[in-house]
Amino acid sequence: MSDWREFDQNPVSHSAAHHLVAISELTEEFGYARVSDVARTLNITRGSVSVTLKGLKGRGLVTEDDRRFVGLSEEGARIVRTVQAKRQVMKTLMVELLNVPEEVAERDTCKIEHLISDVTAELAGRVVLALRSGEPEVEPFLGVLRRVGGDHISEELEFPSKDLAQLIDGTKAAEKKISEGESK
Amino acid sequence: MSTTGISQEELLQRLNGLLAEEMEASIRYLHLSMTVEDNDREKLSKMLQENFDETVEHAQMVGEMITQMGGTPSPVIRLDLPPERISASEAIQTALIFEQAALDAYRELLERVEVNGDAALLEFARAQVELESQHVRELQVLLEN
Repeated sequence: MSDWREFDQNPVSHSAAHHLVAISELTEEFGYARVSDVARTLNITRGSVSVTLKGLKGRGLVTEDDRRFVGLSEEGARIVRTVQAKRQVMKTLMVELLNVPEEVAERDTCKIEHLISDVTAELAGRVVLALRSGEPEVEPFLGVLRRVGGDHISEELEFPSKDLAQLIDGTKAAEKKISEGESK
Repeated sequence: MSTTGISQEELLQRLNGLLAEEMEASIRYLHLSMTVEDNDREKLSKMLQENFDETVEHAQMVGEMITQMGGTPSPVIRLDLPPERISASEAIQTALIFEQAALDAYRELLERVEVNGDAALLEFARAQVELESQHVRELQVLLEN
């Protein structure tokens, strides 16, 4: 139950991940990134960007040259590649497997992309690969998912739905039974 | 419509950006004054609080300029304040970083209004660049000492 604390102890905070990704994307698009560009991209002040970058420079993730252009260190670039890969995998999984509407998947992915473990991301990626493999067993499975999926789902839905609440209660009861059995 | 070589929309956007810089700086100064720990804590804390007062004044001036220019002050503020005590030199370094950022933003505004600039706006931008430059110089001297 103490896993929630990991959220705060994540090596790259939500804000830091966005700064690193912004530097990467700006450099890719324009060939350089300045504090003002990062601030505009993230819609925050230059002061905030500068203070955050100070911390990231101290951790060896961001570099700054004499012209005050900012860039990523090797480790910073590795973190960005990881975050972007997790974003891509999780978004694809949400859209193609769960039939989550594209814009909802985009928002939700942004919230978790830097938080999920490499193990979860790798396994999610393998599911995406399997879905796209064209193997004959996949299509009926996808058919079932489309039937229960989010084509007509509303963002104002009541969560959990009645069926899902029953499932959750059933799972909790089963877990309790197992744990009671183990303690005997 | 452009009356100053810069569109009204861009002008208000820049001024609101500066308002956010000043408001955030004031909160940062207040936070630094509370979290700094050093032998000279009292003296430094007082200086940081004075800078807090000054940045609040700057924010008010930018807010008034926005109103004069026909806009509504609407800063977007998103602050992450580190929950740690910091040394005097770290506090000054941090202050230097956000003061330099504000100075850069004022310099950009000045560059944009220097061509066909509205006289009041030009004067305001020049005065702010001078003030912020002075702040940066003071912090640099403090850091060196």
